[in-house]
Amino acid sequence: MPETRAASLRIVDGFRLEKPRRDALMPGGALRDQDGRTRQLPRYFYEVESWNTAVEYELAPHFHLWEFIHVDVRESAALRFFPRYVPCAVLLTAAMLERFREAVGEPVRIAANGGYRSPQHELTSHASTHCWASAVNIYRIGDEYLDTRERIERYAEIAREALPGAWIRPAGEDRGFSDDHLHLDFGYVVAVPHDAPGDPFNPKLEGDPL
Amino acid sequence: MTIPSALNRDRAPSVPSDLDALRQRIEVTARKSGARAVAVALHDIESGAELQYDADRWFHGASTIKVAILLAVYGEIDRGRLAPQSRLHVRNRFLSAYDGSPFRVLADRDADSEVHAAIGKTMRISELALHMIATSSNLATNLLLDLIGLESVQRTIDQFGLTGIDVRRGVEDEKAYEHGIVNRVTANGLVALLRLIAEERAYSPELSREMLDILHQQEFKKGIPARLPREVRVAHKTGDISTVAHDAGVVYAPVRPPYVIAILTEWAADAGSRSPTIAAISHSVYDALRGAPSVPNDA
Repeated sequence: MPETRAASLRIVDGFRLEKPRRDALMPGGALRDQDGRTRQLPRYFYEVESWNTAVEYELAPHFHLWEFIHVDVRESAALRFFPRYVPCAVLLTAAMLERFREAVGEPVRIAANGGYRSPQHELTSHASTHCWASAVNIYRIGDEYLDTRERIERYAEIAREALPGAWIRPAGEDRGFSDDHLHLDFGYVVAVPHDAPGDPFNPKLEGDPL
Repeated sequence: MTIPSALNRDRAPSVPSDLDALRQRIEVTARKSGARAVAVALHDIESGAELQYDADRWFHGASTIKVAILLAVYGEIDRGRLAPQSRLHVRNRFLSAYDGSPFRVLADRDADSEVHAAIGKTMRISELALHMIATSSNLATNLLLDLIGLESVQRTIDQFGLTGIDVRRGVEDEKAYEHGIVNRVTANGLVALLRLIAEERAYSPELSREMLDILHQQEFKKGIPARLPREVRVAHKTGDISTVAHDAGVVYAPVRPPYVIAILTEWAADAGSRSPTIAAISHSVYDALRGAPSVPNDA
């Protein structure tokens, strides 16, 4: 099997985690988006043993794991201690961000609470793509803080060209807009790596759309 | 200027003899200063004596309200919702208490650049609490208030039965200010609040001492401590905007128990001698409680 960059991170089935973490992560659970549609949460997670692991672990040439799991006291208490868990899609998100970083030619900084957030995080509302680890809030690029409409829109334009299909939150002060960061996301991405545990095949469920 | 209320000697086992003279000195200092209003509240922990000079008059609280926010933050620590080492996202975006519209703390109006330098990252609750008090960081204040909520501050004020403390919004919320939503304090309110901490009645002796340690690290020393002898330590919080200048704290002199004092002043926008007036009153109080003239630290 070809080795992925995250090959040394253990993949865990969220269903098999102990209850407090399972309740907070809601593996395979459902969240409703703003339009009332159900979105299914990821079930498989990379296990991060320590902060040192997160700091040292390179997901892409210019992005380390810690940047995607840096949360504050608003995260569920069950998830603020190591080992921590992050949906496997984080690897794809880092790869996409690397493309964006190449396009801007400057360091791209993800805000605290701006990577993966659990469904129980106090800032989570509806089916936030942060719960899929497929969204990032970028607060700074090079020396520029993205706290003006002009800067946010300038980098949003670069993101649209570099990342076809990415969704970018429009700049503005009202609800649903952002005025102090650039929000990029890649939708409700669920990644199941080849070596994810999974369930045995059950022929009775073959053909069941769910 | 309002005529000061009567000296309260009810709880005083050994009232310093010259408090009446002290009142007169405060009045002379206040009159000469040109201040629109001066209020002083004093509680001597040794004798129980209290002096109240217009001490129930409401003033714009300026940064003195940060002590009430500190108390509320430690209330959340006491309840287990927060820990001093809990991390908080440093984000310069807040919602006005008037209409929920967003506003920011201007970096060039904030005395503390360290918190601004951490935007996008996290800082510990204990670090933010220290910045809120020691360098009066407005950004740290709003971050902590945003985290715990105004209702937590009000709950704390109610829990301890504090009157004379009215926290209704974060700092630099210009829209709320323009619509009359103002944080207010009285000298008596601040003294009652500081007594909770100084007498270790705020949650637990340990948490009270932690708050006191933070207040001891105050970096603005032109008010209460300015003319006191060098060996005197003061745990305090200043408040200074264009029309008010305040200082409130606990004064620890050698060989005597501490006293708690709040000196609040209101001025025309371009008035000078604000801090010197507070320092002069503080010096008078110190001498009166000590019973002899002291050598100020700028002598």
